[in-house]
Amino acid sequence: MTDQEVQKKILLVDDNPLFLKMLSKAFDKAGFECTVAESANEAIRKLAIDLPDAILSDYQMPKMNGIEFRKYILKQPTLKDIPFIFLTDFSDKELVNTGLDLHAIDYVIKDTPVNVIVAKLNNLLATVSKQRELSELEVKKAAAALNIRSVPQKAPAIAGYEVNFWHKSFQDIPGGDFIDFIKVTDRFSFVILGDVMGKKWMAWFLSFSFLSYIRAAVRFGVSSHEYSAAGILEKVNQIICEDEVLKDILSSLSLLMIDHEENNITYAGAGDLPLLHYQAKTKKFESLKCSGLLLGLFANGLYDEQKIIMQPGDQLFMFTDGIIDYAVSGETKSDYNLFIKRLETITDSRNSFEKLKQFLIKQPPSSQVDDASIIHIYKTA
Amino acid sequence: MIDIIKNQSNYLLVDVNLQEANMANASTFRSEIIKMLDLHHKKIILSLHQVNYIDSTFLGALVAALKHAISLKLDIALVGLKKDIHDLMTLIRLDKVFKIYDNFNDATKED
Repeated sequence: MTDQEVQKKILLVDDNPLFLKMLSKAFDKAGFECTVAESANEAIRKLAIDLPDAILSDYQMPKMNGIEFRKYILKQPTLKDIPFIFLTDFSDKELVNTGLDLHAIDYVIKDTPVNVIVAKLNNLLATVSKQRELSELEVKKAAAALNIRSVPQKAPAIAGYEVNFWHKSFQDIPGGDFIDFIKVTDRFSFVILGDVMGKKWMAWFLSFSFLSYIRAAVRFGVSSHEYSAAGILEKVNQIICEDEVLKDILSSLSLLMIDHEENNITYAGAGDLPLLHYQAKTKKFESLKCSGLLLGLFANGLYDEQKIIMQPGDQLFMFTDGIIDYAVSGETKSDYNLFIKRLETITDSRNSFEKLKQFLIKQPPSSQVDDASIIHIYKTA
Repeated sequence: MIDIIKNQSNYLLVDVNLQEANMANASTFRSEIIKMLDLHHKKIILSLHQVNYIDSTFLGALVAALKHAISLKLDIALVGLKKDIHDLMTLIRLDKVFKIYDNFNDATKED
């Protein structure tokens, strides 16, 4: 999604309803989505419901004035980084000095023509956005230099199957979804799809901790001849619950253990969406559910597993919640059954991944509300 | 964001004033509800009747609040879930973690 496609949101705070109306009209006209508040307390209530891209606040207000309002904002972790501009009736040097201590980005004298105020805010948001892009670019460069990825560059070749995946991060910033394919021995391959609850960089960083534990548990499990997907999940969950850094961080996980010798797949899931198994013979989808809870929820969590026998032409779909979430007409929804209906129109006994990919690519960027990942497994022989 | 509608001796009925419960408000929600648990030391019945959508970040905050309640030997029950949200919670097995009731009366029956 590009900045041009996103309507910027601004919160205007002033105890003068007339001035507020005039300002709001000008910002509306300039394409902003305006929220207005006639007091700092009303603004605080509105900030609890939705976060704007910038706040433009009067300095002199009864009860809580602009400085007190700014101090409150700076104490709130979710609000403190929102660009903040003071509106003043006069050029007050003392206010400027106090305001600078409070990291107010700019001051606007109320006499300034409204179109100049709008232009000033547009410039400010463009600068903030550019700065953010540069910071993200730096992190992306560092991640690339370290060669760390939570999603592989391509799907592996797994004997007897065609494996593909599609992944799109939310607003093009890496997030909590992670994918991995591990060939442990000639007999066993593992497919991993997880989603750390949260979005963007924080979830992305945490996904590596989860991935490291899962990779270790998979390898230790096979090397100690414990061929159980559920057993692996139990171990991973226990370690995560004991890890102080991951305290209160949760993740879903779908784990497939492909046994090339027995020609079957074992599936275990932790708080994941049910997998979908398309059976070529009946041309029907079967939903595969496990009972395991999210990783990191309870240390004594129990996990179950189930065997999946795939016949040639059968297809398996495993996906994160971003695939079933979508925004339409300003409303966001989650609809697992709607996604099944869409899959039913796409899937037949041939490898349906390309059709699925085309369908996903065609979705408007504005409808995406979370990281979206799907792994598709087609049984060849 | 959250308001106490009813303060009884053994529970609080708390309304969530959000239509979209997402990353933008998850962190504030989490700290507010934890503060409420610490202050009142009562079970919370959380009414989600205004909420049309919950993303995974907010679900994480909800679960973190429940874990905090459990550590205080308290509980958080949910009422007024829209169908989409109830379906999602069932799909990812959070219906086994939270007590979910159709309405407030059912939620208070055992109290």
